[in-house]
Amino acid sequence: MALLEVNNLVTEFDTDEGRVRAVDDISFTAETGKTLGIVGESGCGKSVTALSIMRLLPQPMGQVVSGTVNFDGRDLAHLTLPEMEKIRGARIGMVFQEPMTALNPVHTIGRQITEVLLLHKNITAQEATREGVEILDKVGIPSPDVRMSEYPHQLSGGMRQRVVIAIALACSPDLLIADEPTTALDVTIQAQILELIKNLQADMGMSVILITHDLGVIAETCDDVVVMYAGKIAETGSVFDIFDRPSHPYTKGLLSSIPTLETVPKSKLSVIEGMVPGLMDLPKGCRFENRCTYRTDFCQDSPPKLETVADHHHVSCLRWRDI
Amino acid sequence: MTDPILKVSNLKMHFPVKEGILLRAQKFNRAVDGVSFEINPGETMGLVGESGCGKSTLGRCIARLYSPTDGKIEFEGTDITHLRGKKLLPIRQHIQMIFQDPMESLNARHTVGDILEEPFIIHRMGEKAERATRVRKLLDIVGLPSRSVTRYPFEFSGGQRQRIGIARSIALNPKLVICDEPVSALDVSIQSQILNLLVDLQQEFNLAYLFIAHDLAVVKHISDRIAIMYLGNIVEEATGESTYHKPRHPYTRSLISAIPVPDPHKQVNREVITGDVPSPISPPSGCHFHPRCPNVMDKCKADSPTLRRVADHQVACHLDLD
Repeated sequence: MALLEVNNLVTEFDTDEGRVRAVDDISFTAETGKTLGIVGESGCGKSVTALSIMRLLPQPMGQVVSGTVNFDGRDLAHLTLPEMEKIRGARIGMVFQEPMTALNPVHTIGRQITEVLLLHKNITAQEATREGVEILDKVGIPSPDVRMSEYPHQLSGGMRQRVVIAIALACSPDLLIADEPTTALDVTIQAQILELIKNLQADMGMSVILITHDLGVIAETCDDVVVMYAGKIAETGSVFDIFDRPSHPYTKGLLSSIPTLETVPKSKLSVIEGMVPGLMDLPKGCRFENRCTYRTDFCQDSPPKLETVADHHHVSCLRWRDI
Repeated sequence: MTDPILKVSNLKMHFPVKEGILLRAQKFNRAVDGVSFEINPGETMGLVGESGCGKSTLGRCIARLYSPTDGKIEFEGTDITHLRGKKLLPIRQHIQMIFQDPMESLNARHTVGDILEEPFIIHRMGEKAERATRVRKLLDIVGLPSRSVTRYPFEFSGGQRQRIGIARSIALNPKLVICDEPVSALDVSIQSQILNLLVDLQQEFNLAYLFIAHDLAVVKHISDRIAIMYLGNIVEEATGESTYHKPRHPYTRSLISAIPVPDPHKQVNREVITGDVPSPISPPSGCHFHPRCPNVMDKCKADSPTLRRVADHQVACHLDLD
């Protein structure tokens, strides 16, 4: 069952050089109790997608121009601000990449975690403190009652990210959006955090949208995957569709260009030549066309539409049948 | 066998931590605490570890951006540990460095031409016309158009900027290049372009690399040998293949099992280690890894293990690993 349905979302930003379209007509669904991964390189619009869903776009530059975001029967894109505030933090939690900037350095951990509880639940300060300690305990923070009165700078990076997760999960949301939650962390800590998110998800039955550039993280944690490129969806499908039967040249290129522990040392890695086009001067046709090895003249002129490869597996490439 | 190009023995770099009203150094941050290894000509030594393990500090000591507290660095048989001023200049020609963030390591107010010409000016090489030819040649080697000379770093993408950083590092035909996280800030599709370039350059100019990174998959791809660092010490050293297939040290094992594999069919049996890296200002007693080690013994809490040979590995661990 779909918990969140994004339909034809378009997000634009006003910049000094003019209006740019950071997210261009994307649609996807997040199923109840499952993990959806959004993968792509910097600037592909994956974070903007998350911020658009949460209505946290930088104001007044960022605007959702069109499209709908259906969450549990309501369109988040068209809710009033007070209505949205009731959902944000309570029914949808968000975890950001850099825990030091997501936490307020001058407030204690306790104050930051009880803030969300007091805002969304009808409880007393004492009850909130007690619940706060419980949640910190749940995300694996040792001696949580002591930590409540400490400040973010007194914790390590991994512990800070646990606090951010604790705050996001404080009100037992139906959906957790995690934007690069482990990118700033070391691998051993990353393993701990991903394990934690997985366990909490199983425990609380929530859906997760995980945004990352790391295909390893995607393969390990996600059920469904959306691959984004230059503001558009290149390919979407189950994690097995994407890794076993990639149909978009970009997905194929990404998968073969990462060195794994199995590749022969110093062998030539396959590369995707060139670089992502700037959002100011996007090509008229397919956005990947200038880097694609399968390009034809046709690709230059006509933008591809999302076509169906199989059930749930869609690709935006004119030539997917030939390659 | 050829002589090693670089020999590091028992290197220590302790930074004073100034505290109190008088700002006296009461404590020391033991960033690098007794490290020994060798690099042969044309070889890549990978250096892996988590943040704060001292891997960047070690690289900077070897490039002599820092003056080590103790120990010895020999480059082609010459002791360079305490060289200063003009005596360092010929060494700098042979030991160069590539940094993680090219936006910060390239002067934003200089054109690419100025940036690449500077090494030749400092080392008084060639006339102006000859230098210009060399700069164009460098750009060609790293795959940038020659019209780049009049442009500024901000006009380039991250991957191209890293190419400029690489061009600068190989300008003086160095023998050893210290690469400090050269691809960590880059996107996946660009990362493979830069790794290929580094491998090509190594083969063409017989460069030795000290390749510092936290991504074990990247390090294994480019390295002949790998050293794993934990809290200022090397805990294991072996060939890349052997490090991955037969890791001996419990830390190496957990590090390898923590890497997410880009294959949804692989079910990983993870040896997740708990806890964080302790502070190098007050490291744990005995083996620095003992508070997080799944195989900890009483001995580990008291005695600090030294590197010993186990099969074709060097391992610093008390466990019976043979």
